[in-house]
Amino acid sequence: VTYSELTLHYFETAAGAGVLRGPGTCRGAAGSRTQGTWVQFDVQPGSGSIQAARFLAFGCPHTIAVSAWVVEQAIGRPVRAALPESVQELSGRFAVPIEKRGRLLIIEDAWVAALTVAMQR
Amino acid sequence: MNRPVYLDYAATTPVDPRVAAAMTQCLTLEGEFGNPASASHAFGDAAGALVEAARAQVAASVGASPEEVVWTSGATEADNLAIFGVAQYYRESGRHIVTARTEHKAVLDPCRELQRRGWRVTYLTPDSGGVIHPDQVAAALQTDTVLVSIMHVNNEIGVIQDISSIAAICAQHGGARLHVDAAQSVGKCVIDFAALGVDLMSLSAHKAYGPKGVGALLVSRSGRGQRARVQLAALQFGGGQERGLRAGTVATHQVVGMGLAFALARATPPAESERVAAMRERLWQGLAALGGALRNGNAERSVPQVLNVSFEGVEGESLLAAVRGQLAVSTGSACTSALQEPSYVLRALGRDDILSESSLRFGLGRFTTERDIDTAVEVVGRAVSRLRRVSGA
Repeated sequence: VTYSELTLHYFETAAGAGVLRGPGTCRGAAGSRTQGTWVQFDVQPGSGSIQAARFLAFGCPHTIAVSAWVVEQAIGRPVRAALPESVQELSGRFAVPIEKRGRLLIIEDAWVAALTVAMQR
Repeated sequence: MNRPVYLDYAATTPVDPRVAAAMTQCLTLEGEFGNPASASHAFGDAAGALVEAARAQVAASVGASPEEVVWTSGATEADNLAIFGVAQYYRESGRHIVTARTEHKAVLDPCRELQRRGWRVTYLTPDSGGVIHPDQVAAALQTDTVLVSIMHVNNEIGVIQDISSIAAICAQHGGARLHVDAAQSVGKCVIDFAALGVDLMSLSAHKAYGPKGVGALLVSRSGRGQRARVQLAALQFGGGQERGLRAGTVATHQVVGMGLAFALARATPPAESERVAAMRERLWQGLAALGGALRNGNAERSVPQVLNVSFEGVEGESLLAAVRGQLAVSTGSACTSALQEPSYVLRALGRDDILSESSLRFGLGRFTTERDIDTAVEVVGRAVSRLRRVSGA
């Protein structure tokens, strides 16, 4: 498997990896480690926008890279249950092979789950 | 740019410079470029003499006689010739084959093809250490079993099978011929083809510092007990070379390379094996210290050149991607498409999919240094720690 430069950059830095703590943290997760892909997002909303976001990911380099990009892009965006880009756009941006698109859907599910919690507060 | 540390000697080895020099002597006008089958002139005679000298070198290095060596393009072709050759020749005697789930694809795929053609195949499951016990073979034999194919040294985990005991069981059965894929064996452990009592054995040059594209099938000329010596049906035709078993002009430079590589392997002092064993132990101790590292394969039964380790809490594709810039190793997953699949060998040992995928095979060799080992421990340690942190493991 070959990876784009962007994928390698976000895979190697994984800058937003970790968890958030505190009463304002909203968490969502999807996938399964035993199935090979699991993603968790923590977000902290405030004043209608996302103030902080972190991720944990057990998965392939594309999964880690896209998750890292999502939390980086999310800061300052409005609290709404959608990724910063569609799965289709993310797939193109990170040159994700078609066989691995399902992993992007897991990322989307985890993100939407976290943001749904945030919107309900 | 610095090249990654090479620890994939079980995949292939660099050609020994002495081997490369000998091979080049067989290519150009000044060298022995003749067709070894051309008996009508000195060029052919000279090339033919080199081919026979190489045959003798290969035979001597594995305890066979030169007449038992059939040149092939590699171990895969040798495996195919052995399996299809026996199946075809003995098709009226029986259509049952015994092999193991941990065999190389060069054995498993021909067996599956024979299943499609109506043969029955029993796939033995090894114990958790990767060992096939001889009594499993005995229990699997049926009255119409014509072939047992069990590898000597496993390519993924390095485990050595008890071939002589399995050979004794096959000899007692009478009808079951024993084929052994020994592609990984030369240079890693001593082989005595005659003493083992094997009917057919596949060999590869490029796993032993020889060139790619050449191998051999050893075909025993001895009977086993009351049984006549093994016979094979040829798979390709057109010239009658290799006693009719493998038609086609013999590639002089390739077999000369294989002959010298095997002779050099045989001449390697035992101290080299001890040196590699010490480095493998150093590697294992370094990796074990990371925590959550599981050694795959029975350590007491494996060659010193191979170490296979699964890492808990780490996804396999990411692990390989994280180390590949600095380390050339193999992963426990098979990459047949963009999606990687868990190693079927490790699955056969009872590892789950995640641990089967998150394994690395380290292949140590003649040019591996302690510094390489320390680099490997450092690189893998950094990657495993980072990926566990990213996954929250």
